[in-house]
Amino acid sequence: MNDISTFVGPVIDWLAISPLLALLAGALVLLLVGSLTGEWPWRLYAHLAALSAVVAIFVSVRLWDDVDTNGARLLIGGALALDQFALLGTIAICLAIVLVSYLTSDYLHREGVDMPEIYALYLTAGIGALVMIASNDLVVLFLGLETLSLSLYLLAASNRQQVSSQEAGLKYFILGGFASAFFLYGVALVYGVTGSTRLINLNTALASFIPVPRNDAVLLIGIGMILIGFAFKVSLVPFQAWTPDVYQGAPTPTTAFMASVGKIAALVALVRVFVVAFPSRSDDWGAIILVLSALTLVVGSVVAVVQTNIKRMLAYSSISHAGFILVGLEAASHRASPNVDDGLIGVAVYVVLYAAMVVGTFGVVSVVTSDQANSDASGSTSLDSFKGLAKNQPMLGLAMTVLLLAQAGMPLTSGFVAKFGVIQAAVSVGSYELAVIAMVCAVIAAFVYLRIMVNMWLADRTDTTTVVVPTLSRISIGVAVVITLVVGFLPSLVLNLGSNLAELASK
Amino acid sequence: MIGASTEVLAFPILSSLVILPLLSSIVVALLGRTRAEWTKLAALTSSVTTGALSLWLLGAFKSGDAGFQFVSNQPWISQWGISWHLGVDGISLFLVVLTGILFPLVIVGIDPHHNETSYFAWMLLLQAGVMGSFMALDLFLFFVMFEIVLVPMYFLIGGWGYDQRVYAATKFFLYTMAGSAFMLVGIIATVSLARRDLGFVTFDVIKIAEGATFSTNAARWLFVSFAIAFAVKVPLFPVHTWLPDAHTQAPTGGSVILAGVLLKMGTYGFLRFGVYLFPQAAMWARPVLYTLAVIGVIYGAIAATMQRDLKRLVAYSSVAHLGFIVLGTFALSSQAVTGAVVQMVNHGVSTGALFLLVGMIYERRHTREISELRGIQHVAPVFAAIFTVVMLSSVGLPGLNGFVGEFLILIGSFESARWWTIIATVGVVLAALYLLWAYQRVFHGEPDEANSSFKEINIKEGMLMSVFVAIIVFTGVYPKPVLERIEPSVNSFIEHVESRTK
Amino acid sequence: MLNLLWLIPLSPLVGALLNMAAGRKLGDPRSGWLATSATLISFLATVMVYFELLGRQAEKRSHVATLFSWLPVGSLQVDFALLADPLSITMSLFVTGISTLIHLYAIGYMHGDAKFSKFFVYLNLFVFSMLMLVLGENLLVTFLGWEGVGACSYFLISFWHTRNSAAVAGKKAFVTNRIGDFGVMTAMFLAFSSVGSLSYGAINEAAHSGELAAVSATAIALLLFVGACGKSAQLPLYLWLPDAMEGPTPVSALIHAATMVTSGVFLLTRINPVLHASYAWVPTTVAVVGAATALFAATIAVSQNDIKKVLAYSTVSQLGFMFLAIGSGAYVAAIFHMVTHAFFKALLFLGSGSVIHGMHHEQDMRKMGALRKVMPITGFTFIIGWLAIAGVPPFAGFWSKDEILLYVFAKSPVLYVVGIFTALLTAYYMTRQVIMVFYGKARWSDHGAEHGAHGDFTPHESPRVMLMPLLVLSVLSVVGGAMQLPFSKELHFLEHWLAPVVEESEAYIGKSWAYQNKYLLLMLAIVVATTGIVLAVAVYAKGKFKVVEPKVLEQAWHYDTAVARVVAGPGAASFNLIAWIDTNIVDGIVNGVGQVVRGAAGSLRKTQSGFVRVYALLISIGAVAILGWLLLRGVVL
Repeated sequence: MNDISTFVGPVIDWLAISPLLALLAGALVLLLVGSLTGEWPWRLYAHLAALSAVVAIFVSVRLWDDVDTNGARLLIGGALALDQFALLGTIAICLAIVLVSYLTSDYLHREGVDMPEIYALYLTAGIGALVMIASNDLVVLFLGLETLSLSLYLLAASNRQQVSSQEAGLKYFILGGFASAFFLYGVALVYGVTGSTRLINLNTALASFIPVPRNDAVLLIGIGMILIGFAFKVSLVPFQAWTPDVYQGAPTPTTAFMASVGKIAALVALVRVFVVAFPSRSDDWGAIILVLSALTLVVGSVVAVVQTNIKRMLAYSSISHAGFILVGLEAASHRASPNVDDGLIGVAVYVVLYAAMVVGTFGVVSVVTSDQANSDASGSTSLDSFKGLAKNQPMLGLAMTVLLLAQAGMPLTSGFVAKFGVIQAAVSVGSYELAVIAMVCAVIAAFVYLRIMVNMWLADRTDTTTVVVPTLSRISIGVAVVITLVVGFLPSLVLNLGSNLAELASK
Repeated sequence: MIGASTEVLAFPILSSLVILPLLSSIVVALLGRTRAEWTKLAALTSSVTTGALSLWLLGAFKSGDAGFQFVSNQPWISQWGISWHLGVDGISLFLVVLTGILFPLVIVGIDPHHNETSYFAWMLLLQAGVMGSFMALDLFLFFVMFEIVLVPMYFLIGGWGYDQRVYAATKFFLYTMAGSAFMLVGIIATVSLARRDLGFVTFDVIKIAEGATFSTNAARWLFVSFAIAFAVKVPLFPVHTWLPDAHTQAPTGGSVILAGVLLKMGTYGFLRFGVYLFPQAAMWARPVLYTLAVIGVIYGAIAATMQRDLKRLVAYSSVAHLGFIVLGTFALSSQAVTGAVVQMVNHGVSTGALFLLVGMIYERRHTREISELRGIQHVAPVFAAIFTVVMLSSVGLPGLNGFVGEFLILIGSFESARWWTIIATVGVVLAALYLLWAYQRVFHGEPDEANSSFKEINIKEGMLMSVFVAIIVFTGVYPKPVLERIEPSVNSFIEHVESRTK
Repeated sequence: MLNLLWLIPLSPLVGALLNMAAGRKLGDPRSGWLATSATLISFLATVMVYFELLGRQAEKRSHVATLFSWLPVGSLQVDFALLADPLSITMSLFVTGISTLIHLYAIGYMHGDAKFSKFFVYLNLFVFSMLMLVLGENLLVTFLGWEGVGACSYFLISFWHTRNSAAVAGKKAFVTNRIGDFGVMTAMFLAFSSVGSLSYGAINEAAHSGELAAVSATAIALLLFVGACGKSAQLPLYLWLPDAMEGPTPVSALIHAATMVTSGVFLLTRINPVLHASYAWVPTTVAVVGAATALFAATIAVSQNDIKKVLAYSTVSQLGFMFLAIGSGAYVAAIFHMVTHAFFKALLFLGSGSVIHGMHHEQDMRKMGALRKVMPITGFTFIIGWLAIAGVPPFAGFWSKDEILLYVFAKSPVLYVVGIFTALLTAYYMTRQVIMVFYGKARWSDHGAEHGAHGDFTPHESPRVMLMPLLVLSVLSVVGGAMQLPFSKELHFLEHWLAPVVEESEAYIGKSWAYQNKYLLLMLAIVVATTGIVLAVAVYAKGKFKVVEPKVLEQAWHYDTAVARVVAGPGAASFNLIAWIDTNIVDGIVNGVGQVVRGAAGSLRKTQSGFVRVYALLISIGAVAILGWLLLRGVVL
């Protein structure tokens, strides 16, 4: 119908998408130059990756003010959204990239190799993530999702010496494909009902027609399938089964990357899609979110209790964190309530703070367990490797303690601020039972963190080798700890952002 | 309790009572890496200064003024209406002072034996938290302090305790955290409900208590959510079982602080937050709490009688004593509540002293098994004499501090909770039973050769204990100065409750 | 002179503190003299106050000295105040007087004891507490003394604490007293809630004016009586007193004969208007309990062989008499007997102490006999004491006991019979004791060796410092009756003196048959006393009849053992049960929760088999569930 000649390309606000471009540039340089030249000195791979991420952060900050003044808007003909919700996610993701790159650099050097691909993959994954969180169109979203996922599959398998790493990658790949299929079907069905994939159009379309007597089964199935797709990426119970295996098998820094970037992207996108596109059906998906969140919280925290491998423990704890974040989304589904926005803000804040916590924690793990990384993974990363750590490396032990207390949600750490945010959201919309479940699970989860602390402080070191903390790792762990504490004491720093957070571009 | 007296002091005494120990704990931690030998000195100076400040506070406190004094109120997290709001009134004053003087005594008196640095760092952090929770007038701030206290206590028990320490520490941490989990939800719910009446979000306990009114049903739920946290902390029967383990396994210093001030955070919380915010709900819950309190009194006493471990015995006696306090708190008569507040302090002094003495016994004999000890009075008469005084204060002998609180509680509760009070009075009889029986087995009789070498109390210990004995006797003989500072606040508190429950 | 009132309790307190501080330096005997003079001072102060009061008209003989406000909270305003009135001053007079004598005696008796000075610390502390008890202006100050004497008695009973029996006895005394204290405390609560004050003035006034409802009055009276039973060793709480004999003999004389054990009688007298205002059956109960105890204890005393045990049970019995008097509304008689009893029972105990001292701590009367030859003064004074308690005229005991029996007869002839029979037994067992200890064959010489003395061992008379008090007390036991002679109203000195305190409640028996024929009863009493004595002489001296000392009586009707068995059996068992429940059920549930979580985790973990197909299956299950539910919503709902 519309002839090629009359086709007008969309206006592109280059500045607005420059975070993407920054990461893209970094990735290209790493791949091209990196593959042509020999190994770079002075950890340049890491620095370059970090640099592009930092640039992205700066631009995002700049854009933040822009949004404050000019308000949120759509880009590239409505394919992407530019709003603070996305920008906060961007910043969190880029921050994670910086920290993880440095961890990785030390890790790889300890392994005696340093290769640009890993960093390139971080960046491409980052690109995918950024697209996901900003995408205002289900198809674009799928693009981002796949970019991210493919990079993650590769990253999971990136440790060639280890079978477990290969296995993790493969598992992740197969199941990931399975989940993506669900997602794509969902999109198709929704498109079939509404004739659009643009979130905003979906909303208007659906809001206008709610058949009585009700028969939008097709639509709901579509929504459900999209949700399942997300549920896998976010690893909600019962779609979480892959997580422990993959987290354990993958090289520790990569695990940190998956736990932070992967989760953030999926969660933010999930929230955006459901809040923007399907608010008119929030009663339907809200209930599911409630159940999923409760299940995830319980299973995540309970199963963690019996783990003996630190990475599996943290895998489960990350699962229960996802449950916590869903509490925020559940709150956002109560459209009747005046405080519905608290949910969105809660999620956004949680996501950022969680990123810092989890990267820091895995950072410590990668430092502590690295010395035996060649031996079989389960052994090296067993909880025992933390025995007496605090006596051996007091500052490292203290850092880990702070991070763990933060994950447990102790006051005066960012973890408390994050939890407080979502609980507050849940309570203010009146879903008390979920709030209580969440808090009780937090207590169960606390047991897990206590177990790690017991090993660090109260047990005697089994092997006498002193843990060495390389500079770059020290930096990234330090940054994580500082963020955790500063935000803990002065929550206002992040809460000040809250004002326009809930102003999604397409709402 | 009616609004905070608005005078702003030149010197932020209350804030410094929290911040000084907090900073010094960091300083100590850092000192430890370079100058380990200075840490004890640093900890000492800090705690002594804090103690001096708290005593100055006691002196400067205007008795007869019911409102909050030395109030400092800075916005902290304005988005959530959270502020750094501290203040003391008659109800909190003596708990603050007790916290102020108990810590230096513990730090002077007890040697951690290993890892001094971290021990002192945790101690000071603990003090900051306790101070904060006794002075906080902001629900969020209170919760933060109430919760953060768990961390140092956890490490003190786990790091310097006895063989079962890890189990005990974990149990303590999770049990209390589980309790406060409900309170956090309750606090948030309180605030978001109060928002409707007040029109703005605030965690300020005074504003909420005076300004907001909750529907009967909501108030009950909220009260329960608070009550769970406080019941665990007190601890009330049947959620008390973390206490014996924690006490027995904790190092002496930990036990002293635990019994001395930590448990009071529960009883104080009931008063300052539970009852103050939800008077009707409190009235509604009264019978249950009376019953649990009285069960605690009798049950704790009986369990104490049968303990083989001296420290465990004292721990159970705490369960009994705190039962009295809860009874008084909810009887809501001028005498009962004043008595409850007095008893919070007295129990802190007496039981703290008892734990110190048991600690000294352990230092000498490396056992707390009653059956292992015999005839100590014969070889250490002075030690025995001091133990006797403290024991009798705990038994509630008139003329010693323990009696004042117990008597006021009982005579004040008799009107509103007659039968519960009568049963509780049986607890007074039992107190004599378990303590005197233990005393007879440990101190009387002919010492066997293991005990005949029992060292008499030394100068340092003597001076330490004399402080406690002095307080015990003074408060027992001349409680008026204490009472007249507590009573006005208690009365206006009761007026508030009555005005809401009419 | 009334401003000396505070000095009465203060001086022994100061004495105690001084000895606490410097006792070891002063040493033996100086610290003893210090303590003695402290009590002497308070005795003199009491005397002055006494004369001051005596100088006033009857209704003005009451003075309150407020030292400071003790427990001022809201409507409860308790002052630390002393009350000087005929009753309290009578009490303090004989308390301080006898204490002084016993302190003096103790200087000799405790000579050479390792903890000599400490003994006097406790003794002074006791006197202080006892004086707080009697001088207290309100129930709470009295309670302070009440608990104070309890504590001191605990310290002194287990003074020789390395001896296990002493330690146990001390604890037993304190705990049993606590049971009584439960009554006193609840009585205070009730008094406060019904009168709004704890001061005797207010309470008695309320009772007098009828503002205090009969039912509350009854409750208060009964609860205080429970307390009295504890302190004054009445049934069923008397158990601790015989064991209390583990303490040094001066302690038995002072605390467990003369002073502390009478405080129950004092308390009931103090609140006599309340007793008067309560239901009629309350005094009767008191009387019955008193009579029962009197008889019960007397029967036991008949077959005790420990010289002190006999006196202990006799004390219980005599206290029973006092309660019998109270119950019959004979308050004056009760106080009268309390005083005379203090004289002769102190005398007897000190005498027995002197014997024990002379016998190198032998207490078994079967190993004594014919001691009057070697211990003439002790023997002489003891015999006076015996005549006094046996109720032989004109000794003190005769008059007071007779006065009581007079009132009892007026109240109920049945109780009178019990009383008179008890009197018979008293005369009997005391004669038995005197004969076994001072007459007959000397059964001690052959036991010399085992008493540490070398070769032929002869008991020796005690030092002068011990004999002096004996002489003084024996004089008092002779003339003590003079304070209340039945012959004419003018001779009722004590009655007139106590009138302001007790007259409303004092039973009026002027019209009763008993009063008309009081001389007949007097004669009867004399006859009974002589019968008792003659019988005992016939049995123990002349051996005319064979000795009857049933085991059941020696075992105190097995009451003590029965109680002990219950405490050690079901009592301990139930306590253990609760302790067991605590660890296994209450705490078991807590740990159970932990186990459940672990268990759940364990089973959930099984799904983590590592097989992709299983994971895919899980995903499918989840998917089916979600989609199924949505389908439901979409179509149906």
